[in-house]
Amino acid sequence: MTDQAFDDAKVDGIVRGYRRRSAKRVALVTCAAAILAVMVVLDVITGPAELGFWRTVEVILTPANATPKETVIIWDLRLPVALMAVVVGAMLGVAGAEMQTILNNPLAEPFTLGLAPAASFGAALAIVLGWSVIPGVGGIFVTVNAFVIAMLTSLVLFAFTRLRGVTTEAMVLVGIAIFFTFNALLAFMQYGASELQLAQLIFWQLGSLARATWPKVGICVVVLGVLLPYFLSRSWSLTALRMGEEKAASLGVNVSLLRLLVLAGVSLLTAVSVAFVGAIAFVGLVGPHIARMIVGEDQRGFLPLSALAGAMILSGTSIASKAITPGVVYPIGMITSLIGIPFFVSLILAQRKRHWQ
Amino acid sequence: MTFPERIVGFARVIAASVFLIAPATNVTAEALTLTDIAGREVTLPERPDSIVLGEGRMMYAIAPLTEGNPFEKVVGWKDDLILYDPDAFRKFEAAYPEDAARMINFGNPYAGDFSIEAVLEADADLVLLDLGNLFKAEDTGLIEKLDKAGIATVFIDFRQNPTENAIPSMLILGRLLGEEEAAAEFIDFYIAEMRKVTNIVQSLPNEEKPLVFIENAAGWQTDFCCWTFGSFNYGRFVELAGGVNYGSTKFQGYSTEVSLEGVIAADPDVIIGTGANWAEARPEVTATLLGYEGSPEENAKRIALLAERNGFKDLRAVQDGRMHSIYHQFYNSPYHFIAIQQIAKWLHPEDFEDLDPQATFDELHARFMPYDNSGQFWISVD
Repeated sequence: MTDQAFDDAKVDGIVRGYRRRSAKRVALVTCAAAILAVMVVLDVITGPAELGFWRTVEVILTPANATPKETVIIWDLRLPVALMAVVVGAMLGVAGAEMQTILNNPLAEPFTLGLAPAASFGAALAIVLGWSVIPGVGGIFVTVNAFVIAMLTSLVLFAFTRLRGVTTEAMVLVGIAIFFTFNALLAFMQYGASELQLAQLIFWQLGSLARATWPKVGICVVVLGVLLPYFLSRSWSLTALRMGEEKAASLGVNVSLLRLLVLAGVSLLTAVSVAFVGAIAFVGLVGPHIARMIVGEDQRGFLPLSALAGAMILSGTSIASKAITPGVVYPIGMITSLIGIPFFVSLILAQRKRHWQ
Repeated sequence: MTFPERIVGFARVIAASVFLIAPATNVTAEALTLTDIAGREVTLPERPDSIVLGEGRMMYAIAPLTEGNPFEKVVGWKDDLILYDPDAFRKFEAAYPEDAARMINFGNPYAGDFSIEAVLEADADLVLLDLGNLFKAEDTGLIEKLDKAGIATVFIDFRQNPTENAIPSMLILGRLLGEEEAAAEFIDFYIAEMRKVTNIVQSLPNEEKPLVFIENAAGWQTDFCCWTFGSFNYGRFVELAGGVNYGSTKFQGYSTEVSLEGVIAADPDVIIGTGANWAEARPEVTATLLGYEGSPEENAKRIALLAERNGFKDLRAVQDGRMHSIYHQFYNSPYHFIAIQQIAKWLHPEDFEDLDPQATFDELHARFMPYDNSGQFWISVD
């Protein structure tokens, strides 16, 4: 019977430890969500038109009492941009997190694997040559092109994973090849572009939230709303995958199927976000690393926190870009790096241990 | 081609050749040295007679200088005129069909597809480039390579700093084409028409200058507003016409993206969008299709839709009927004084009551151009 008592005590300890870790994880995610909420509020109350905090709240809560100008400023200009920053940031954070997980590579992200340049190239086809990949879509053909080319590219990546004996390293290399291919094609397009077309291309290459609208925000929310819960439901298998392919397989995970499904999800997240806001680098790479440094590898904490970190980076960028010169719009991809990198480097320096194992 | 047209064409050729041969005899042996708009000293062994245009829209400047066929010394260009101002291209095409068809498309001079070999094969002796691309031309070694091949490059400018560079550019073109007299005549006209505006504006007190927002290429992108100019080009036109340019108050550069919210907050007195017939190259544009084939009914519909855009319809300028649209290509041509006159009329209707930009434009065509004026070049919202 002593055995049993000892075991009980041990189990108790494990259970307590587990609960403590769970509670800590929940606390961290809640805390990050709270910070993000504050940032969104900041984002909505700042802008060239001085409206003030209470007036802004009033316009949001009782639109009927607002002047038409205030309604346009808050409802059509500021809110879609602020929410787009959050949703797209989260999408890129999740996409980067899962890309790093399934490819077991710290540098993997939608950008380094060439999906974002592919989308930019699709947009360039529309902007410079006026080609529509899918005929008859009208004014949105730039967005449609970006989406279709990004999805086709991920199909190529897909097809590649189906080849026998392809390692994750080889996949990363193929991604890099795709990245350079599309960058070269994009440069080719730029050469032939007129002044106005170049101005439009810059938006695709450096990203901008200025074109956010409610329908776009809605589509992004739906995509994220479907895929994030799906990834969370697979978090046990994904965490297992991070311990190594063989270990995950011995624990009963169908590694190649998991990889395929997750890659499909990541492609969709990337293609949709890039099609709407252009290619925003850095968020998908650094968001997950920040999350990993804070909560570690367990997907139940890592995934939500990656999403929140991505959202915070983009939301912070949105606020900062308005502060540089009020009224002038800067491509947002330019600023994400400038804002995120100091924070990222300070995190690396603060915990000088290997966070990627 | 009908018989009378043939006769006229023939007479024009005779007239042109007489005009050219007379001065040509005493200059053929003489080298031509000039300083271009980039400040480079360029020496040509003799007057060029086969010229490559870095931009097709340089024809706007060459046409008023040449008596007769403006294509005579031009061997090729970039197809931007065909793509972005098809109306003007068709005007040239109607007047000189063989020449318009003969134009070689050399492509973008700063791209890989611009072949120096093709320039050599066309026996070109001069490539005209626009100043905006000076750095690119230097970076890619284009000037050097052409120079080694014995082909001179000369920079002119009607876009970056048009109001400052138009006169020297026309002087340079006059010398290159051997049309100094025509250039002097055009410049006289230019100065006289510019002064009609600036003489009055200089005595306007600052507080009478309205705040003007220029929307560069309004409707080019269907889902987005706004591109605008700093204190350059249309931004400068506004300042010369007696307005305060919104873009100049925000940033230093040539052009940029501004947020619609900033425009709404600034509450401009006047809004002026630019438009041209882009619908042929890009059917989705909602811009006003201003130009030689501009139709008042169609453009009235289009400017009404632009004024209906979210955020625009509640602007004071729109509600006061002070939203206008003007031909985009004035921004890259020596005729920008027409735009400045029209903007001055919009900003200060009483001070410029007697000014008639349409008459000025018609006179420009009658005196200098190989074709007549037509179409519509500006419109206001109802």
